[in-house]
Amino acid sequence: MVTRRGRLSIYAISVFLCILAVFYAFPYLWMISTSFKTDDELYSGSVIPQNPSVIQYYRLFFGHQVGEEYNLQYRYPDYYKNSIIVTVSSLVLVLTLDALAAFAFAKYNFFGKQVLFWIMMITMMLPVYATLIPSFYLFSRILGWVNSYKALIIPGVVDAYGIFLLTQYMKTIPSELMDAARIDGAGPLRIFWNIIVPLSRPALGTLAIFKFLLVWNDYLWPLVMIREETMYTLTIGIAQMQMRQGMVVWGVQMAASVLATVPVILLVLAMQKQFLRGLTAGAFKA
Amino acid sequence: MLLNVEARERWGRVWEKLAPYVFISPFFLGFAAFQLFPISFSVYLGFAEWNPYVRQGTGLSFVGLQHFVQLFADARFLNSLKVTGIITVVCTLVGTALAVGLAVLLDKVPEKLSMILRALFFMPSVTSVVVITYIWKQILSEKYGYLNALLENLGLERHNWLGSPSTALWALIVMLIWSGLGWDALIIMSGLRSIPEELYDAAKIDGAGSWEEFWYVTLPLLRPVLLFVVTTGIIYLLGLFAPVQLLTGGGPLHRTETVALYLYHQAFDYQEFGYASAIAVTLTLIMFVASFLNYRFFGGEVEY
Repeated sequence: MVTRRGRLSIYAISVFLCILAVFYAFPYLWMISTSFKTDDELYSGSVIPQNPSVIQYYRLFFGHQVGEEYNLQYRYPDYYKNSIIVTVSSLVLVLTLDALAAFAFAKYNFFGKQVLFWIMMITMMLPVYATLIPSFYLFSRILGWVNSYKALIIPGVVDAYGIFLLTQYMKTIPSELMDAARIDGAGPLRIFWNIIVPLSRPALGTLAIFKFLLVWNDYLWPLVMIREETMYTLTIGIAQMQMRQGMVVWGVQMAASVLATVPVILLVLAMQKQFLRGLTAGAFKA
Repeated sequence: MLLNVEARERWGRVWEKLAPYVFISPFFLGFAAFQLFPISFSVYLGFAEWNPYVRQGTGLSFVGLQHFVQLFADARFLNSLKVTGIITVVCTLVGTALAVGLAVLLDKVPEKLSMILRALFFMPSVTSVVVITYIWKQILSEKYGYLNALLENLGLERHNWLGSPSTALWALIVMLIWSGLGWDALIIMSGLRSIPEELYDAAKIDGAGSWEEFWYVTLPLLRPVLLFVVTTGIIYLLGLFAPVQLLTGGGPLHRTETVALYLYHQAFDYQEFGYASAIAVTLTLIMFVASFLNYRFFGGEVEY
């Protein structure tokens, strides 16, 4: 049914989009290219490094020799470790708690359910600034959690979006499955673990990847909570590289950025299906 | 033995009733501790002076509306409102228009190519703001940036993009539009795909050209998706913080200082927690009003 003119215009659009995509991706190309440049070439403005080198990556892990006697250590492995610890613990904790709450909302009738659900939905609309200052005070002065993993992990339990997403999904799981298990003597936790969790796996996957991106890329909260360099996460670590050193460390910074970004992009690509489902679920809820 | 079984059964029934409350309690405990308390305290702080570092007492003193009166006479705050407003309006209008265009084009090319391109355009959405901002900062840097090197090669003059008051805000806006484009386009595309094919067939029979088709079929039916994209975008832009703090730090001459950045300076640089809370309360109200207006403007059911 496609006409000759139609096919021609599809070619034209394809070519146009490909050219556009190259321009669009240029900052990424620049990041990668800069990370493979030597110091001499950093400021040359060339897109392809003339003498590709891994010196910037080497410095991230083994220090940066400045002049004769000064060796600058970046603690980059610490940043990476901290980001992984915070992200993985957040994911495990939040997914478990979200799933349990969603299970209650989707499969139980209890007094106050409607009201509680609406209260939860309203919390989704609260911007971070509405709570930032007292939260900072609470975590630093009252709880004394400055420079701790807890401070970065625990606030994540208030995840209305996740509970909402999982509740919508769990509602589609037939209740008969639960009734059958109940007759066999299974309690709520057993039903949750043996029936609800396995059947909710697609929704859990979607939520996991969203949460992962959110925690991995979080900037404001770690910025106010973490002072100690050994406790920096990747985002504030990379941001502080320039501020703290008082010198331009672009090459190292771009190497750090590549290592922090590329695994994430690959992961999202690998989980593209789950990701897209979550994205569109959000769009049609509105 | 018999008693034991009975007791267990009774416990089972109680547990069955209790379980949902236990399951939702972590959220609501967290909500009380990390949201309800901070928000109430935030609102109160907006009407108080607070020195949290005093040895004795709370360091709190009630000052009534003083902060809010001060706020609307504070040139730096009014300037931050203007900056935030410009960023929000320009990025929303231009960004959404570009995203609709991109989505329509991506929808026309063969699926395999479209998939690759989508992944490419989507990269900034999964990249840390810190990384994105530093790449742009480098490209735009006056002495060593790629853009200026390119301009010089073309025989044009170098320009201090981030350091001069006339261009810093626009550099920021370009970066923001760039980084949000893929996300918006992808969501809009999922909206495009949900429009029933028959409507296009019907339009063709009525003799509609592709432009009319877009204007009278596609765009009206995209309204719910556009509502989502625009609302979430506006909320994000009104609270814009990290990209500004990292790219320009609010400078030069506060030309790029957003409300959220000003709030951050007041709270964490000047320790003016009361005043900063008044800004936070105002910002939150602005966000609510913006969402509401948006809903009124775009909302409502779609009619086929």
